[in-house]
Amino acid sequence: MGRGEFAIIGTGEVPCGNYPERSEFEMAYRVAKMAIEDSGIDKNEIGAVLAAGHIMSNPGCDYNTEMYFGRLPEAIGAKGCKIAASTISGGASSFSIMKTAEGILHSGETDTVLVVHAQRFSQFTTNEQAKFFAIAGSDLEWEVPYGMTYNALAAMVTQAYMNETGTTLEQVASVCVSDRKWACLQPNAMFNNKEITVEKVISSRTIAYPLTSLMCNVLADGGSAFIVTTAEKARKVCDKPVYFLGEASEFSHRLITRAKERDFGKWGAGFTPVFEKAYEAAGLGPDDMDIYQIYGSYPCIALMVMDAMGICEPGTAGELFERGDTWPGAKYPTSTNGEALSFGHTGTGCGFALLVETVRQLQGKAGKAQVPGARFAVKDCGGGAFMDIHATVLGNEIPG
Amino acid sequence: MSDDKVSIKDLLGLSDEDVAKPLPIPTDWSQPFWEGTKQHKLLMKKCANCGNIDHPPYLFCTDCMAEEHEWIEASGKGTLYSYAINSFGVPFPFWDDMPYVLAIIDLDEGPRVISNIVECDLERLENGMRLQVVFDDVTPEVTLPKWKPAG
Repeated sequence: MGRGEFAIIGTGEVPCGNYPERSEFEMAYRVAKMAIEDSGIDKNEIGAVLAAGHIMSNPGCDYNTEMYFGRLPEAIGAKGCKIAASTISGGASSFSIMKTAEGILHSGETDTVLVVHAQRFSQFTTNEQAKFFAIAGSDLEWEVPYGMTYNALAAMVTQAYMNETGTTLEQVASVCVSDRKWACLQPNAMFNNKEITVEKVISSRTIAYPLTSLMCNVLADGGSAFIVTTAEKARKVCDKPVYFLGEASEFSHRLITRAKERDFGKWGAGFTPVFEKAYEAAGLGPDDMDIYQIYGSYPCIALMVMDAMGICEPGTAGELFERGDTWPGAKYPTSTNGEALSFGHTGTGCGFALLVETVRQLQGKAGKAQVPGARFAVKDCGGGAFMDIHATVLGNEIPG
Repeated sequence: MSDDKVSIKDLLGLSDEDVAKPLPIPTDWSQPFWEGTKQHKLLMKKCANCGNIDHPPYLFCTDCMAEEHEWIEASGKGTLYSYAINSFGVPFPFWDDMPYVLAIIDLDEGPRVISNIVECDLERLENGMRLQVVFDDVTPEVTLPKWKPAG
């Protein structure tokens, strides 16, 4: 990708939470319309419709099949559509689907791509969800027979990270506090009506020691969409396009036991080169960023990613969160939509939610959560059992 | 499970199938591992070409992609790298086991495994503690290796 070669020109999003009556397709349909209207383009300019699949299959009404067989371009009447496809890589989907979009734009087949995500967990029972998330990031042969769960996976990572870096449980809880502060400024966030304290996070019910319930994300229903185009077209049709300035990735493992970096306390240092590469591609540095959008899904992962973003020494991100440096109005606005912990975890959608929020911020459309004058932001996402990391630097201008 | 607890099965009126523990379904290339555990032996797949020990085993060596290999018996000794205590929100089959310990264990031979720590007071758990394997015959056909404090 060349620097600033592609840009997002419009976004759409429905509220995240418990909406069992709202089908995935309805969400995808609504957010697509919002994104088209927000971008100001004619729907017939759309040449490709890309969907991130639902992470948990639903045989009764197969949204995934609907999407890769083109129900959305038909429903919105996208008369210029040439390509309908799906891309999925769990929590990393927002990044991999952008790579797909970039490839299509590069091919010259079209200059306008609609990307959508929708997810509805509430159609499943609590036990179905528990079962799915026991096996989703785990191995059926080597982990599931031991009663492995996603929460336990994150708990083991947290336990080792705390042990190796000296990070306290209070500092881990500070991530949840920061996320909730931002969510309270977000109309679409699942938990947006009451702030929480470190004491409340720590004293909530233990789920998987050392993690308490408020340190575990909540599965939710939600969806979002965006329109991505070439920079050339973006400048013609949009007042404030948001450019992709730099990107970088690293894959580590499927099973946590096979992580390339065996010391979890060093994961932040291990992610650092990925962010350095993305900053370098953008021609910017960590201090140039106005917003730090972290997809952690669990507070400890957020600490590891913050360790890598270049504004603190690896292993010390807990201090930064504990001081409140990541809060609204503070020096390092972080995860401004409240992230999985407070916005809600929409499976493949957490990265999408952070991406559309980043675009809103850089377009000056973020409402009460707006970071004044935000020009540049760095964002990550990753999937599986913390299998990979993808860094993206975005900006509403291409730095000279 | 202690006597004063009501089982999740009775509490919610679940079927045997709802609470049946998931068992490993071996692949062709992992079958020797599970045959080993049945005989209370912890076997590891060692590449005959480059000597890499793979766990979990794959069809080809994850280092050099050679298929030729041998199975070596591991010492059954290891070190606790990290742990979690599952206390709520687990799938039904594990509900009555709560609280139970999941752990990442570094085997002396190099590979890492996920397993349960058993026969250990929760207060005694400590990163770096020495562990030894124990074999849990969960069915007549399937034996899971688990770990307890050494010595």
